[in-house]
Amino acid sequence: MGQENPAELAQIIIRSRLSNPSFIYSFFSQFPDSNYSKLKYILSSSVTEACNNSVLLLGPRGCGKIAVLELVLEELLKEHPDMISVIKLNGLLHSDNNCALKEISRQLCLEHQLLFSKMASFDDNSQFLLSMLRECGLAHKTIVFVLEEFDLFTQGKQRLLYSLLDAMQSVSSQAVVVGVSCRLDADQLLEKRVRSRFSHRKLLFLPPSGKDLHSLVEHILLLPTDSRLPNDYTTAFNAKLLNILADEKFKGIIDTLCYSDSTVGHLLRFLFSAVCHMDLKSGFISVENFKSAVPSIQRQPKMEALKDCSILELYILVCMKRLEVKETELCNFNSIMKEYKSIHDTFQTSDYYARNVCLRAFEHLLERALISFEDNRGHGQSAEFRPVKLLISWHEIHQGLKSNRGCPAVLHKLMDREAFPKKPQDLKDMGASSLPLWQGSNATLPTSSLPQEAVGFESTPCHWNVTADWAAVDRTGSTPMHGRLLVFLSVSFSVSKNIFRYGLPYRATGRP
Amino acid sequence: MGPKRQVIIIRKWHFVSLSACSLDLVDPLCITYSALVNSIMVICILVDVEQLRAVKEALHVSTAPESVVCRENEQNKILDFCKDCIKQEKAGSLYMCGCPGTGKSLSMEKVKEILVNWANEDGVQPPDMVSINCTSLVNTSEIFSKKRHDRSTSSLQLLHNLYSQKQPPGMKMILVIADELDYLITKDRAVLHDLFMLTTLPFSKCILLGIANAIDLADRFIPKLQSLNCKPTVITFRAYSKDQIISILQERLRALPYTVFQPQAVELCARKVAAASGDMRKALSVCRSAIEMLEAERRDPISDFTSSSLERNEDQQMAAAREMMTNQVNNMVRIDHVAAALSKTYKSPVVDTIQSLPQHQQIILCSAVKLFRQGKKDTTIGELNKHYMDVCKSTLIPPAGIVELSSMCRVLDDQGILKLGQSREDKLRRVSLKVDGADIVFALQLVLFLDLYRQRPLSKLLQLLQWDEYCLVMVPTTLIRGYIDHRRQERC
Repeated sequence: MGQENPAELAQIIIRSRLSNPSFIYSFFSQFPDSNYSKLKYILSSSVTEACNNSVLLLGPRGCGKIAVLELVLEELLKEHPDMISVIKLNGLLHSDNNCALKEISRQLCLEHQLLFSKMASFDDNSQFLLSMLRECGLAHKTIVFVLEEFDLFTQGKQRLLYSLLDAMQSVSSQAVVVGVSCRLDADQLLEKRVRSRFSHRKLLFLPPSGKDLHSLVEHILLLPTDSRLPNDYTTAFNAKLLNILADEKFKGIIDTLCYSDSTVGHLLRFLFSAVCHMDLKSGFISVENFKSAVPSIQRQPKMEALKDCSILELYILVCMKRLEVKETELCNFNSIMKEYKSIHDTFQTSDYYARNVCLRAFEHLLERALISFEDNRGHGQSAEFRPVKLLISWHEIHQGLKSNRGCPAVLHKLMDREAFPKKPQDLKDMGASSLPLWQGSNATLPTSSLPQEAVGFESTPCHWNVTADWAAVDRTGSTPMHGRLLVFLSVSFSVSKNIFRYGLPYRATGRP
Repeated sequence: MGPKRQVIIIRKWHFVSLSACSLDLVDPLCITYSALVNSIMVICILVDVEQLRAVKEALHVSTAPESVVCRENEQNKILDFCKDCIKQEKAGSLYMCGCPGTGKSLSMEKVKEILVNWANEDGVQPPDMVSINCTSLVNTSEIFSKKRHDRSTSSLQLLHNLYSQKQPPGMKMILVIADELDYLITKDRAVLHDLFMLTTLPFSKCILLGIANAIDLADRFIPKLQSLNCKPTVITFRAYSKDQIISILQERLRALPYTVFQPQAVELCARKVAAASGDMRKALSVCRSAIEMLEAERRDPISDFTSSSLERNEDQQMAAAREMMTNQVNNMVRIDHVAAALSKTYKSPVVDTIQSLPQHQQIILCSAVKLFRQGKKDTTIGELNKHYMDVCKSTLIPPAGIVELSSMCRVLDDQGILKLGQSREDKLRRVSLKVDGADIVFALQLVLFLDLYRQRPLSKLLQLLQWDEYCLVMVPTTLIRGYIDHRRQERC
């Protein structure tokens, strides 16, 4: 026994609550003007007053439309046991007219213990439907048609919708049609005849905001006092939980979560993950549990793949990126190898591997879908000659390099240098999409974007910096010693060019 | 004590109530005056609920009224045509057209009844009536087999032969009513032609009445008939005007002894519906929703009443009962109920949904609006991503990566706000806006107004969109003040 058991039990209770939609959405049933009460009123008044009705439930996915509908139908079945029969159709499966009628007949037969024949034709099925509607009308039984993915029923000629809604126009039948859809303009998709017969009641399901969200989280996570858990444990747990919920950090976490997806389903997945991280020894939930649940919800699969890459694979990715920046025509394994060799020659790195090792690494990257072939045509050619393209962006490579512990400094330098564009128009291409300015990286743009010719004398120093680096990297096969000589020469060249422009007679090609 | 029946007379109405049942539950031994007042109130409420229920039933679309008002002209024309054809034993075709909800099928039912009565009175043989709804036909040529009440496949040929020869004089006329005739339109329009041609054969005995929505169906789809000089007579059912709607509603409510609607409320409903579409079903549905609003309003004070009535003292109860009994207006549907019902029917849920979207999706919509302002109509996800990053940069929010962006675009496409095209690569899928840019700006302005103290980056977003170009929403200052106070209270 001891402390272990209450914590496990508490975990089980909370997890089973999170997986039970009727518990979650029954929270909303206490408000008098919530969608639950409105829907309940519509359906129960249709049943008791024996009149026909139709209603449309709209809202983004994961907001609980079907869960609330199920709750309401359960309640109604309890209150009026023999007066309701429910037929469920789904637009993904039954949007074809024949299929839908067959399914309706099958479900009606099931409800009323009749024999269903698969050989029945379309005419037979529709006759059966009409006569069932009449019979149920006489017996004061209401048939509730639930049409999920309602917008898919509106494709084509909408015969099923027309026949259902037309049957409801007569006194002898008693039916309710409930359409569930996530498209906001689902009723605009209806034909005008069908739209005229539809009663235009719409219930909008929206994700909960602010205070409602807070009370929902309390409702889910606070342990009940009448369970098998010891009382002192429950009160301690609840007190600690209330503290956490009032904490600013927790509110910040929930806010970040809601920035991309604010539906209830998303929140429930997050809470489930957080509860699974609960420390069973101490027996209480803490803010760290919630923090550690965030990455499991906001997964970035490419980053995780990059984290596990070997150094050689990272080299290959960086080489591909540089080839892309240089706008070379062909990017295949051979050109990558050339680029790789040039980096090795420039920086004298120790990571130089043989060609067949690199080929293995290349194939690994293909398998992991970080790169892929340009087109599917060249199956006959070997992998070395087919053109490849990157499937991840510059920004993601940069992030991945940072998160990879074993990444050599050379690659960082190379990627940082990618920030300095060769020509001014590169700035527009790479600017907005590739620079994470808010992270305070040192990829500053303005000064280096000025073209060489227009620079005045005073900005020469940083200008010099740029040309030095480019000189060092650009020349293939040159060692740093050569690079330094070239630096001196290029500096003197550019300086002298400026002098010539501003003071002395201008020479078109100045060679020192 | 068993249940007692008490007869209470209030004004002109007689109420028979089982009020003693409720008194039994409270206090079986003593029926005090306050308890009596209680029960009176409950009775009032109960009976009013019954009244409202009856009114709702009278206003339901499926209850057919005894007399069809405002369609007498059209009905007379149809009747005259049918009577002519039957008397002269001649075939003919008639085409009825009009918008949905204008009483075409309803008039047909009435005409059928009247015809049978007239035929019986006049001693003429009543025709066989065949009513077909063309939506239930799998194959368009099934209509002919329906006419002959058998399933032979060459019914058209048989009918053709039948009508080309002279028959024995005792043969009855057939009156065929084909509803939703445009479902029979195929590419080669053969079926429609054949159907109407059957009435032009020399010895045909078939009177065809077609119903559809398009005014020019006869001209567009069966031009051949004009050359044969047997174009069908066309009767147009115009959309209802405001006065017609009012008279129809009053006709339906005339059967009930009490008035539930204020006259201005009925007029508002009729005016709005006539301006929008002239569809009678809409008007009936709006009236029923207005009654439901009234019921909802009355339900909340009731629950307060019955729960707390025991604690109140007698004087308060008497005053409340008197108020309930004398206040007639409370029981009627007023203009505000009808206005609320109209706004529920005609309002689109777009603005509400945009207001409740998560922040990143709102930013995506803003960047799309900005992008499309320069005259382009669609763009790719890659372009949208660039603009999205720009907007995020200037509002200091960390942006989501392109994978998350494309999944958020897919969510917006699901909801019908954006439209995504197909492409092999994710970045090249085409994106276009389905919602008007002005709606998006309006929705975000409202969010800004209601969140004045939170200082969200939305203000910067809207600055980007240069929202001072659009005229600001004229939100009344009382509303703003109310919200500011509300938020102040929340913070304390």
